[in-house]
Amino acid sequence: MKPTAEQRLWMYRNMVLSRYLETRIESIYMEGKTPVFNMASGPIPGEMHLSNGQEPCAVGVCAHLTAEDVVTATHRPHHIAVAKGVELDAMVAEIFGKATGLSGGHGGHMHLFDARVNFACSGIVGQGLGPAVGAALSRKLQGKSGVAVAFMGEGAANQGAFHESLNLAAVWKLPVVFVIEDNGWGISVAKQACTAVPNNHLRAAAYGMPGVHVPDNDVDGIFAAAGEAIANARKGLGPTLLEIETFRLAGHFMGDAEDYRPAGEKEGLQQRDPIPRYRRQLLDAGLLDENSDAALVNEAQARVETAIRFAQKSEFLSPEAALDAVFV
Amino acid sequence: MTTKKATRKLTIARAMAEAIAQEMRIDPRVFVMGEDIGPLGGVFGTTRGLITEFGTERVRDTPISETAFIGAAVGAASDGMRPIVELMFVDFFGVCMDAIYNLMAKNTYFSGGKVRVPMVLMTSTGGGYSDAGQHSQCLYGTFAHLPGMKVVVPSNAYDAKGLMTAAIRDDNPVVYMYHKSLQGMGWLGTEKGATVAVPEESYTVEIGKAAVVRKGNDVSLVSLGAGVHHCLRAAEVLQKEGFSAEVLDLRSLVPLDREAVRASVGRTGRLIVVDEDYHSYGVSGEIIATVVEHNHTCLKAAPKRVAYPDIPIPFARPMEQWALPSADKIVDAFRQMMLNQ
Amino acid sequence: MQIAIVIPADLWEDDSEAVITAWLFNNGDEVDKGDLLAEVMVEKAQYEIVAPSAGILTIIKHEDEVVIKGAIIATLDA
Repeated sequence: MKPTAEQRLWMYRNMVLSRYLETRIESIYMEGKTPVFNMASGPIPGEMHLSNGQEPCAVGVCAHLTAEDVVTATHRPHHIAVAKGVELDAMVAEIFGKATGLSGGHGGHMHLFDARVNFACSGIVGQGLGPAVGAALSRKLQGKSGVAVAFMGEGAANQGAFHESLNLAAVWKLPVVFVIEDNGWGISVAKQACTAVPNNHLRAAAYGMPGVHVPDNDVDGIFAAAGEAIANARKGLGPTLLEIETFRLAGHFMGDAEDYRPAGEKEGLQQRDPIPRYRRQLLDAGLLDENSDAALVNEAQARVETAIRFAQKSEFLSPEAALDAVFV
Repeated sequence: MTTKKATRKLTIARAMAEAIAQEMRIDPRVFVMGEDIGPLGGVFGTTRGLITEFGTERVRDTPISETAFIGAAVGAASDGMRPIVELMFVDFFGVCMDAIYNLMAKNTYFSGGKVRVPMVLMTSTGGGYSDAGQHSQCLYGTFAHLPGMKVVVPSNAYDAKGLMTAAIRDDNPVVYMYHKSLQGMGWLGTEKGATVAVPEESYTVEIGKAAVVRKGNDVSLVSLGAGVHHCLRAAEVLQKEGFSAEVLDLRSLVPLDREAVRASVGRTGRLIVVDEDYHSYGVSGEIIATVVEHNHTCLKAAPKRVAYPDIPIPFARPMEQWALPSADKIVDAFRQMMLNQ
Repeated sequence: MQIAIVIPADLWEDDSEAVITAWLFNNGDEVDKGDLLAEVMVEKAQYEIVAPSAGILTIIKHEDEVVIKGAIIATLDA
């Protein structure tokens, strides 16, 4: 399955936008945290898990999804939220904890919910899989269309919920696709040090579903594999496990010293940054030229800046609003 | 006259790691499992230096498989080993609670006392730095409520080392709950009062014994972990207003030193419990019940609690800070108590 | 004889500033060679400052103070 020119440009634009967003969040996150890195300080306090380098996973999959389809994501959600069409101003405002945020500041960066586009994320490894299975079940029971996609890291494939969710999805033949963003590291532990098989797509066999491996963080390759998996789910053929080889250009969380990475690994990854690589492919294919690229980049950056200004100017809810929204 | 060499201070993180290392040196049955506890030394510094000294057989990074490795700790402990496992954030207990409360906590009982489960489950607790609802909880009540596991909560490095040594040597399962704001990680802003002098040699702090960390006559401020430091600050403020507050550091939740609580409130006649865990159905209610069901006539005023509201922890800083216990809230509670008297 | 306790020039890679997050001895304490004196943090990484010899400690830069490589944070009087 090959992407159309329009799809390729859509994917590129979303990668450019989400990368610029992460770059801006990174710099704002560090405000108030130098020279003393106190996680509680600054306009964006708490933890921050950025998606730089993993953008192809988000766009290659979400290119096949509509607002109706359900996506669950993890503690590293921004690129996926952008690609899924989460309302950008409200998303950034939520990251800042403001009243205008998706949840009025109740959730923050790891707990982004946008019901309009059926997007949710959670901070507990593996716990987005059950809900994705349930969403798929719900659509089947209601006779409604739509597929569910659960994103996770490769570390989640060692968590009980992974095995239970895949088995259940297969037993009930549900329209759900499981997507592993394999960036090789679970904080400081390398995949090979904690995973009993060389690659997680092999585990799909244990759950009676296809397991597909996409190497090399390749946008169009991800598009093709995801397209087939999602099409199969829509046709009622049941779930697929998709394992995408990707990498994170930054640490697990902001401030991660990354001493666990072998020397030279990070520099090597910078060379393989998927965005300049895809840009090159689009230029070579004549879908982009220097001018149209510059315009696209400027527009994406301007969009992000608008969202950031919106978030910065917004107020916080009053402190007592902490008591709201426990129940409806 | 020779100068006596000073006792060095340690952060709680270093105190925990030192206790574990000292026990591992004398007892080959002790080993450690958990996520990122190997070369990283634990996300909260609890296992710093261990893998260098003891190697990968005894210091094991695990996959993200809490049910498996905590269940494995139960099995290893039942078979003669003395494992220490780390549950990185107490909030993650949801994925592995069966191994904890149904196996670790009950196997000794189900076996009529014949099977021992000498393991330590150490886990990080606490918020206040905007890590939101799944990474900031205390859950003291949750673990204290379920029978069969001891629960300790150090407020300072001296107790931290002694309680860890005691926990490792205890033949029962011990849940060791350390508060992130007391650890000394630097990047989380640490309570200065938690970093204190710690003896170099091995020693234990008895599990099940509270400590009066500040003597007083007018009110008993009872707390644990980070709450103890809020109480000490509140006591300073009250002192300037002419009141003397006694601060009782529970140190253990199971066994609970009910005698110490009753003795303190018996002396002061007033009780304020400070608990960062959720208000209802937890530690604060238990402390109040401990006093009232024993002797309510000692009370000069209705007891009060400064506890976290019954809400998921909000992300936004103004909301989170508003919800947390603080010295100001404790002082206000005391003033209210005096007004209502 | 007085020895300066200095943040080593090779303790971390770039020229970032650091903060002293903990002194593990008090001003005036007698320390031994090899004692861990202080913890210093650059971004989120912690580094250790160890006593190069025995002596009485005089703290110059205190907890929460920002320091650079080469800064004298204390002295030891042997």
